[in-house]
Amino acid sequence: MSQKQYWSGIEDLNNINTPREVVENEFKEELPFELSDSLFGATTPRRDFLKFLGFSTLAATLVASCEMPVRKAIPYAIKPEDIVPGVPNYYASTFADGGDYCAIVIKTRDGRPIKIEGNEMSSVTRGGTSARVQASVLNLYDKARIRHPYADGKEATFAAIDGMIKEGLAAKPGYLVTSTVLSPSTKEVIAQFLAKYPNVKHVTYDAYSYSGMLLANEACYGKRTLPTYHFDKAQTIVSLGADFLGTWISPIEFSKGYSKGRKISAKNKNLSRHYQVEATHTITGGAADHRATCKPSEMGKVAVALYNAVVNGAAPSLPSKALNELVNKAAADLKKGNGLVVGSSNDVNIQTVINAINDKIGANGVTVNWTVTSNCKQGIDKGIVDMVAAMEAGQVGSVYMHGVNPVYDYFDNKKFAAALAKVPVSVSFADRMDETAQKCKFVLPDHNFLENWGDAEPKPNYISLQQPGIAPLFKTRAFQDSLLTWTGATQTWADFWKEYWMKKTGSQDAFDKALQDGIIEPAGEMANGGAAFAGKTDEAINNIQNKKPHAGVELVVYQKIGIGTGGAWSNNPWLLEMPDPITRATWDNYLCVSPKRAKELNAELTGFSEVESKKVVVTVKAENGYSVNLPVVVVPGMHNDVVAVAVGFGRDKQVGRAAASDDTKGGKNAFPFMVFNGVTTEHHSDVTIAKTDLKYDIAITQTHNSYEARPVVHEYTLAEFTKDPDALLKERGAEISEFTALPWIEEGKEGKIDSNKEEGYRENGTLYPNYPYEGVKWGMSIDLNSCTGCGACVVGCMAENNVSVVGKDHVLKNHEMHWIRIDRYFSGMADDPDTIQTVFQPMLCQHCDNAPCENVCPVSATNHSSEGLNQMAYNRCIGTKYCANNCPYKVRHFNWMDWNGADCFDDNLYEDGRRDDINDDLTRMVLNPDVTVRSRGVMEKCSFCVQRLQEAKLVAKKEGHPLKDGGAKTACQQACPTDAIVFGNVKDTNSSIYKIRRQEQAERTFYVLEHIHTLPSINYLSKIRNTDEINAMDENKNEFLKYHI
Amino acid sequence: MHLKYESFVREPLVDNSKDYHEVSEDIVSPIERKPGRMWYVGFIFSLILLGFGIFSVSWSVYWGLGTWGVNRTIGWGWDITNFVWWIGIGHAGTLISAILLLFRQGWRTGVNRAAEAMTIFAVMCAGQFPIWHMGRVWDGFWVLPLPNSRGPLWPNFDSPLLWDVFAISTYFTVSLLFWYSGLVPDFALIRDRAKTKFRKMAYGVASFGWTGTAKNWQRMEALALVLAGLSTPLVLSVHTIVSFDFATSVIPGWHTTIFPPYFVAGAVFSGFAMVNTLLVITRRILGLEEYITIGHLEAMNKIIVLTGSIVGVAYLTELFISWYSQSWGEMAAFQWRIMGPYWWSYWAMMTCNVVSPQLFWVKKLRRNIPFTFVMSIVVNIGMWFERFVIIVTSTYRDWVPGSWAYYSPTWPEVGFYLGTFGLFFTCYFLFAKYCPVIAIAEIKFVLKTSGENYKKKMEAIDAMDAQEFIDSVHAHHGEEHHEVAAH
Repeated sequence: MSQKQYWSGIEDLNNINTPREVVENEFKEELPFELSDSLFGATTPRRDFLKFLGFSTLAATLVASCEMPVRKAIPYAIKPEDIVPGVPNYYASTFADGGDYCAIVIKTRDGRPIKIEGNEMSSVTRGGTSARVQASVLNLYDKARIRHPYADGKEATFAAIDGMIKEGLAAKPGYLVTSTVLSPSTKEVIAQFLAKYPNVKHVTYDAYSYSGMLLANEACYGKRTLPTYHFDKAQTIVSLGADFLGTWISPIEFSKGYSKGRKISAKNKNLSRHYQVEATHTITGGAADHRATCKPSEMGKVAVALYNAVVNGAAPSLPSKALNELVNKAAADLKKGNGLVVGSSNDVNIQTVINAINDKIGANGVTVNWTVTSNCKQGIDKGIVDMVAAMEAGQVGSVYMHGVNPVYDYFDNKKFAAALAKVPVSVSFADRMDETAQKCKFVLPDHNFLENWGDAEPKPNYISLQQPGIAPLFKTRAFQDSLLTWTGATQTWADFWKEYWMKKTGSQDAFDKALQDGIIEPAGEMANGGAAFAGKTDEAINNIQNKKPHAGVELVVYQKIGIGTGGAWSNNPWLLEMPDPITRATWDNYLCVSPKRAKELNAELTGFSEVESKKVVVTVKAENGYSVNLPVVVVPGMHNDVVAVAVGFGRDKQVGRAAASDDTKGGKNAFPFMVFNGVTTEHHSDVTIAKTDLKYDIAITQTHNSYEARPVVHEYTLAEFTKDPDALLKERGAEISEFTALPWIEEGKEGKIDSNKEEGYRENGTLYPNYPYEGVKWGMSIDLNSCTGCGACVVGCMAENNVSVVGKDHVLKNHEMHWIRIDRYFSGMADDPDTIQTVFQPMLCQHCDNAPCENVCPVSATNHSSEGLNQMAYNRCIGTKYCANNCPYKVRHFNWMDWNGADCFDDNLYEDGRRDDINDDLTRMVLNPDVTVRSRGVMEKCSFCVQRLQEAKLVAKKEGHPLKDGGAKTACQQACPTDAIVFGNVKDTNSSIYKIRRQEQAERTFYVLEHIHTLPSINYLSKIRNTDEINAMDENKNEFLKYHI
Repeated sequence: MHLKYESFVREPLVDNSKDYHEVSEDIVSPIERKPGRMWYVGFIFSLILLGFGIFSVSWSVYWGLGTWGVNRTIGWGWDITNFVWWIGIGHAGTLISAILLLFRQGWRTGVNRAAEAMTIFAVMCAGQFPIWHMGRVWDGFWVLPLPNSRGPLWPNFDSPLLWDVFAISTYFTVSLLFWYSGLVPDFALIRDRAKTKFRKMAYGVASFGWTGTAKNWQRMEALALVLAGLSTPLVLSVHTIVSFDFATSVIPGWHTTIFPPYFVAGAVFSGFAMVNTLLVITRRILGLEEYITIGHLEAMNKIIVLTGSIVGVAYLTELFISWYSQSWGEMAAFQWRIMGPYWWSYWAMMTCNVVSPQLFWVKKLRRNIPFTFVMSIVVNIGMWFERFVIIVTSTYRDWVPGSWAYYSPTWPEVGFYLGTFGLFFTCYFLFAKYCPVIAIAEIKFVLKTSGENYKKKMEAIDAMDAQEFIDSVHAHHGEEHHEVAAH
């Protein structure tokens, strides 16, 4: 009997059998183990059954016993057009913070910004970033941000406040105080506001000001502006105290340029020469070829001596021999052309002399660009001083403060607070209840820059647009919206902004392109030109010479590269935990003193003190009566009569939990140490120091300062390198040739190594078989010559890889989690700051092909990928810490505590009071969903950003081509403002990593601890200093080698 | 006449006149009596320590190992130091019972039971550290090669830590069997003497129905020999494998081929010192001076001076080799060890382990009980420092100076260590109360050869001249022959 068959589709008709099978097994799913052979087909299925039963029960019990919190995820009701869950969106935007500028790209995932990258299309910052730019995304999710406007300390609505303010505006004269405004459209808004209210004055106030330069430039060139410095074009760089790689004007831009002159290879031996005269020890000083120290009050004399040496070859007579020598050499080099002199002093006279030198050596139009200038700093100190006087006199009816916090950072902050109290209408646009906002009648919180439209014009006609990455999180309003409202405009800021740029760009297409690129720039290379110098050099020199020298100790007020002048940065746990590049200290400020002065204070660096975290506390008293207790941190390379303290600490508790300070935490405010000299604010003052019996813990991540002449770092002078570029190869050859020169390969010759020898060492240095890498093999190269130690990579890595912040108490126990750290080594004579040479070495997992960590793990939680990655299976790790012990580079980090709430233990999240906001639901929005948040008790380390590598491979696969060089970038590489890190596939002979190792930089390539045959995937390029000698290897020149208690 | 003769040069192993019954009485009566006040004081103190240890460990597990002072550079601190230290102590028992048994050293009978018990307790203490130092102790069973549904995923057989798991668990099992098999006839004795029903039952179960037949004895002897044969290589292998944790690494100061013999010698050294510490107290409190004689202690002290000298040579060899290698890593590691911030631990080790045991060359000091006691503690302090020196002062300044760090323990680490003392002494006090601390059967075995009164009986024979002796033997021989024949 045949049954009628219905076919369900054309496939069914054509092949009646297969589809039926498919239909019958429509929901077939294979069991996770092989049933057919091993279980039922085996001779003893009963045993296997028991095995499976036993272990599945055990596993189920374990899983069930571990209760995971239920978090609700709400799906989109209507999916936004451009958002695909799991796929990041990128928006070009702009970072501008009081004149600090960077063109950026915001990475958003599911509508929230999670990472900031540099915008490579900008010809100003050229894709570079700084630690602060990297960390800025965390400020968006800062729990201390205020969530609605305040009037008289109580919640209010914008409308109500607008009404009250409009009443006050017309009455008495008012002041609008802002930090440097880079935005042309905002300037337009301000102009309209000022036009509407002519009795309101606009004062630009920079907490750490460049007034001296601006005024000197106005006097010399008729332009109250800063020039653009072309460090890339400078063959000789002389910096008189300017930390241009760290904090001076536009460090990202300068780092990019500077590093171009520092790239050297055996083929191209041209290297710029960098002279640094400074009072403290900055990372710029660390990078310098020749470095000498002077007191800040002597800086003018150094400038004059340099001027005289350049102009008439006069022999300098400065306080130290090292200074004289440096000035002589620098003058000689400057005269050769392509010179550049920069200085950080805020004294108009000194800046005038520096301008004169640049004029004499013909720097204008070559390295100093007066055609395309810089808008980065615009504040003139006198403006706010006059305003405070007016406020004190009761002449001011209202004051509006945006981006400034004078109650904290004004040099006489008590006076400012008192004066502010006399102003009837005071308005702050701060994002948090900072010191000034607390004292203001109205607080109208501004958007975070990631929530707002905007733009920046760091240089005339070099525009960068700012688009938001997220809608405002709180009841905040753009500062510009407030002004527009008060002006009476009906337009919102967003509309105003769009109209403004539509007009400028001309068409919707042009606008869209500009928005997408984030950049509007003139085509071609940046124009360059000089300006006629009309400065009164002699008068300036006279003024400098007539200044009476000060005999005692001088204090320098400096900015930390992470914290800057404070602001929101003071409450940014990533930045607080980022070790200072020089002191390697976290979470506090402190008094930097030279080793010699430390000895007098009984707080020297050597011996047990090196490992002792309890630091001697001293009382520092300024001439103006300001006095604080600060712990002493010894910094080799500081002038013996100079001490230094960083600003940005000593914040009020409402600035945020991480920033909050008292006697036990958070440091002290250093701004009151600054002195107003009648024209500008000087960033140093005369102080007296008295030792106390107190001690204070400073959490320092690196306690040993010397690399002990070990082949961990290789340094050569330019002369040595020029004479014998193969010196390093020979040194390496002596170690590894032995393994290559087996009789059946070649005759054993000492000397240069080639790729054969490296391969020979790889194969013959071990008893085990060699793994043949096919396809991709990842590798990284780090140029010690380019690395300035700025720490952008450290924070970039934290942001990308969800690296935990552990808090001060745990940094004290060396529990910090940074996947990449920057080792900083000193060499030289401790008592003579002018002999100190500093080298930075980024240290991260070396992804050894013969990794010591891998074979000691009892459960194979760490293992090797076929692409050469040393990878961690967090789920498998049981936390014996054996791998960390056996890691020669000590780059593995253990999750000592439940830092992130990723555990099945309830309520045992580590809390210390200061870092806690990092685990707030708001702050956790910054976490990168592509990277596991590690739970307590597992080991973690650098993964070479494996999530990015996978993504790059998938993209290449989808696009149907092999992985392109540069397709995958690690977070540290991308963050680096000096391109010190190169990453790629070493099997690809066209890749830059291959070319560096095998062709361009073969002579400078080395591997750290190559002789123990770990076969690292990271190579370093030796440090070449354009100096006379390297101290590090010589015990007579490097006292640090003798510090063996 | 049954004749067992031992030279008078050899000290008696049991002092005073003892017969079999007195031996049983002396050793078993403490078990049958209510314990003294000192026992209670000691036991409760141990329990308090144990409780504090449990609290410390619970604290560390709940809050995480961040409560400890170990850090990114020094991943192992007091935890593994204590582990190796306890494992070392756990060497004496098996050495005494196995190796000395094979070498037919009669004097071991007085001390072997207590020493074996100590071994087992010490290994139990040692085992706590690798377990609780794990970050995710709840997943610790992954080190066991169990069939599983995770792949299946096996442990990494290349890892010395895994070898440790096997070595220590094997050692513990064999030691426990060895110890228990020796206890069986003694438990039977207690059972037979028992006057209360519960005791009779408990010891009846514990003695596995021992009846004391010749077959029982023959089997027990055979088992003892087999276990002794098995344990002998274990005594050497356990600490050898523990030393591999360090020797197979790449860290200067750890990466050393000398470690296996050096660790074994050190282990015997510390184990014997610990046996001395315990025996000096035990013999006093339980009144067993006649069984654990000064002669016993002297014999132990001789081994201490021997092994102490071996480790001394090992320390000097390490120094010599680090110089001879001319390898900068090696040389610097030892330089920092001796002169770095941890210099005090190195010199504490040197003083306690190398210098002070040399005083035992003086016979008077070897036989001085207070001195022996103090020295036994000094040696164990020294051996603790040895492990600390190896573990902490190698890692704290290794290859890359930028990562160098310092380490101090925190209270949970110290509490954990104290807790293992609590565990150890709790077990030891229970052992001293419920088990015969001296192997009764074995003492009886040597009593007629080496007991003082039996030796005294030999004085008359010793006084005979040779011919006289031969004659008397012949005479006896005849008698015995007759007796046998009569049967």
